[in-house]
Amino acid sequence: MALRLMLASSRIASHLRISVSHRAFSSVVLKDLKYADSHEWVKIEGNKATVGITDHAQEHLGDVVYVKLPDVGRSVSQGESFGAVESVKATSDINSPISGKVLQVNKDLSESPALVNSSPYEEGWIMKVELSDAGEVKKLMDSDKYSKFCEEEDSKH
Amino acid sequence: MRSPRTLEVWRLGTVNYLKSLKIQDKLVSERKSHQIPDTLLSLEHPPTYTLGKRRTDHNLLIPQSQLTKIGAELHYTQRGGDITFHGPHQAILYPIISLRSIGFGARNYVETLERSMIEFASMYGVRARAGNKCETGVWVGDRKIGAIGVRISCGITCHGLAFNIDPDLNYFEHIVPCGIADKEVTSLRRETDALLPKEEVIHKQLITCFAKAFSYDDVVWKEDPSFILDTKDDG
Repeated sequence: MALRLMLASSRIASHLRISVSHRAFSSVVLKDLKYADSHEWVKIEGNKATVGITDHAQEHLGDVVYVKLPDVGRSVSQGESFGAVESVKATSDINSPISGKVLQVNKDLSESPALVNSSPYEEGWIMKVELSDAGEVKKLMDSDKYSKFCEEEDSKH
Repeated sequence: MRSPRTLEVWRLGTVNYLKSLKIQDKLVSERKSHQIPDTLLSLEHPPTYTLGKRRTDHNLLIPQSQLTKIGAELHYTQRGGDITFHGPHQAILYPIISLRSIGFGARNYVETLERSMIEFASMYGVRARAGNKCETGVWVGDRKIGAIGVRISCGITCHGLAFNIDPDLNYFEHIVPCGIADKEVTSLRRETDALLPKEEVIHKQLITCFAKAFSYDDVVWKEDPSFILDTKDDG
């Protein structure tokens, strides 16, 4: 019975493009995104990219009360800080998973920073970037690698 | 089997706020490039008000021009949290540690800082507690005894915590501390009848509680503060 349920949930998950790992307290990892080891995600569409922080990141941050958004038009570089989020009296830098020019930022986060917690992959997106080097994406992790990475980090304590 | 974790501790006495920022910047960079192990700065500041990244200066209740009259400085910082006061007889810890090596996020880190202070307070029979949601810090009843404001960059921490041993609490009247109105600030002196030992001893106790809360196997007490205080001054 348990096996049938597990297979069913995997089938539903794969239809929804969600990677589900069958362990306790797993965070959501989406199959069609790429991931940085600093827990940011990027969705590539042609030469444009949308960036945010992952479910794992928002869980470990706590309730986000403020998001420092980058200025539209500025350059961002892979691995470099482009903004910050504040939660529980901690300001955490967020690093860009790709290099390029900021086209748009999610202004909703100024009024509703908690969107980063409630919807990290959809309404909590942070910026849209015009890519300057599509090849950089190769340096990022796919969903399986990122899931394993999160498991390894969480097992450290 | 995990490798043993070492904490290097520098006890620096009274350090000007800007100087402490320069020291921390240097140490964060050295920690990022694995030149140093996890490091803890233990110090006090002269009277100083500081603001966090959100620059909530509406919570400073006197004009900035009045600050020199009361012998205090004001600094804007990149840490989380609201406005606070630092001054003599307030024990400050600035941990420069790698959260990635212990798999901690901001929330676990801050909760462990709170636990360090709660454990320390209990040594004097003071029953402190962590703050409620949106009230990060350490409280005795409704009175705040310990404050937290940190910055995390590439998984390395800086800034940290401030625990009131016996500071001049009048300085807190000029701010809305941590942006929380109608709540008092208190100190170890006020909350305990126990005889307080020399502050050197008190600082060492707080450091030990920190090291225990973060499960360090080894604490190395660095003896020569001038090594770290003689950072090249740019201005």
